[in-house]
Amino acid sequence: MEVASARPGRRRRPLSTTLAQIGPHVALILCCCSSIVPFLWMFMASFRNYKELVTSRSFFPQVWTLKNYQDIILRVNFPVAFKNSVVAAISVTVVMVLTSSALGFVFAKYRFWGKEQLFTILLSTMMVPFAVVLVPLYLTVARLGLVNQLGGIIVTGFWSTFGVFMMRQFMETIPTEIIDAARIDGAGEPRIFFTIVIPMASAPMAALATFGFMDNWDSFLWPLVVLNSPNKQTVPLIIAGLRSLYWTRYELWAAGSMLSVVPIMAVYAFASQYFIRGIAMSGLKA
Amino acid sequence: MHGTSGLSERSRSVADKERLVAGVVDIPRAEPWRSGGAIALARIRRAVQKALHKPQFWFGLAVLVPSLIWYAVFSFGPILQAFPMAFRYYKIVDPAHSPWVGFDNFRFVLGDQLLRISAKNTVTWAVLAFTLMLPLSLFVSVCLANVSRGRNLYQAVIFLPVVVSLVAVSLLFRMILDPEIGQVNRLLAMLSLPQPRWLSDTRTALLTCVLIGTWKGLGFHVVILTAGILNIPAEIYDAALVDGVNEWQRFRHITLPLLGHTLLLITVLLAIGCLQEFTAPFVLTEGGPGTATYTYNMFIYKEAFQQMRFGIATAAALLQFAVILVITVLQLKLLRPQWSY
Repeated sequence: MEVASARPGRRRRPLSTTLAQIGPHVALILCCCSSIVPFLWMFMASFRNYKELVTSRSFFPQVWTLKNYQDIILRVNFPVAFKNSVVAAISVTVVMVLTSSALGFVFAKYRFWGKEQLFTILLSTMMVPFAVVLVPLYLTVARLGLVNQLGGIIVTGFWSTFGVFMMRQFMETIPTEIIDAARIDGAGEPRIFFTIVIPMASAPMAALATFGFMDNWDSFLWPLVVLNSPNKQTVPLIIAGLRSLYWTRYELWAAGSMLSVVPIMAVYAFASQYFIRGIAMSGLKA
Repeated sequence: MHGTSGLSERSRSVADKERLVAGVVDIPRAEPWRSGGAIALARIRRAVQKALHKPQFWFGLAVLVPSLIWYAVFSFGPILQAFPMAFRYYKIVDPAHSPWVGFDNFRFVLGDQLLRISAKNTVTWAVLAFTLMLPLSLFVSVCLANVSRGRNLYQAVIFLPVVVSLVAVSLLFRMILDPEIGQVNRLLAMLSLPQPRWLSDTRTALLTCVLIGTWKGLGFHVVILTAGILNIPAEIYDAALVDGVNEWQRFRHITLPLLGHTLLLITVLLAIGCLQEFTAPFVLTEGGPGTATYTYNMFIYKEAFQQMRFGIATAAALLQFAVILVITVLQLKLLRPQWSY
């Protein structure tokens, strides 16, 4: 309280400071417009019919139509792709966050032979570009009979080295005394992990979960390689397919893109600060 | 463990736990009537028993064993398999009898016309991305650091393109950059400005791709840089204010040098990202028109899954790995920031 009263937040700023901030505000507003306007165009295009899209000069559609969405949903197998994407993204995210936190906890708080070496080896896998493992990983997945199965894109995402790294960084800030106190009180390790560590780590876990979901929802190259039958594909594959399926039928592209963008925007609307703080944090730490 | 101690079962287990928490290791006393080997064995057995009694042991095991199995199958395994694969003529129907071909795959890759084009495009892509992204994201983050109100809102909006799927963004820009019916060219026509053919012109296609990439990635870099700027102690700026320096001097002599670590991180991330560009050109242009936007990873994808030449694709990927490794090491060595706080 004393600190707060020593630094009154509602102090009046001198006029010169306010004036000096006009420039940055103008630049930022322009910047914000440039990141929103394309989406607005897409939104408007998704409600136009083809003729109007080609000829109209107005920003708003003259006749609002839902036909494009109807076409995407009925003709392109979109509901199945949507279900596949949701199943894959959610299962990968849940498992990945759990494994990352557990491994991060073990690497931060346990002592065992070869720990640092093992951690270094794990981290070094992050340096290898995905193209190097593309073919061998495909062959591995094929050997397990998971080609053209949703499992093929799920099982490869269960562990994330970046996630382990991020969670270890955080777990190191948890005081060991708390864990020791719980041990003396007779709590088993699983109980310590689930009832003490996880609640304390909920903020970085949420950040990791949002990253994970976003990454999986958007992932393109790996699903492109693993999944090929139409009823196994994910949303990005279906959307990219619109390109050749409906050549220059931009109103259909717009409707499909809108449908693929909406879930991410919904997640983002609730968790934007987690995304931003998580990224800012990882930038400062490295 | 079943000694005749006077302690009750319960208090002994408490004592055990305390010892374990304190990390006390009891060293077995030397017993002269036993041979050295037996002592060592007994020591190991006791250490193992002790470890087995630790609750951490089982939890650690339960976490580490599945993790290591997964890493062995889906990470270490494929990485290690890539090396022999690059030196083989990989037969898909009979992989066990794929003949060794030495450096033939690498020789083929280095002699390939399309590879040279794609490598050149990829490097051009990275250079253009640097020259656009770094100044722009620095400018925006300095603006963000300077405003006192609405920073979170601005950041959230500028970050929006980062979270949206790259495939959707690519389709979106193909739509609005269409030379005839795209909104951008119609707008330019209304203002009677020249209307470039954006993605359909060999000369502008690559630059347009990079512009789209910059639009999508700006928020990511801005967020990292803004956090870095806000992390610089305010006292330094206050001192500069007292000394009467202007805005530009403040940026040039305080912000830029003290941002060294963050700039380095961004540089490395951007370089590695650009060298692996795949989705954007694949969806935006399919590498075209002609080969104007054909990237290195598209070459690898084509060799692997359209030509089914696994050995050649992996050799190309290993070359990329080598380049990325060299760039990372060089950047970390050369761009070591001179100042820190």
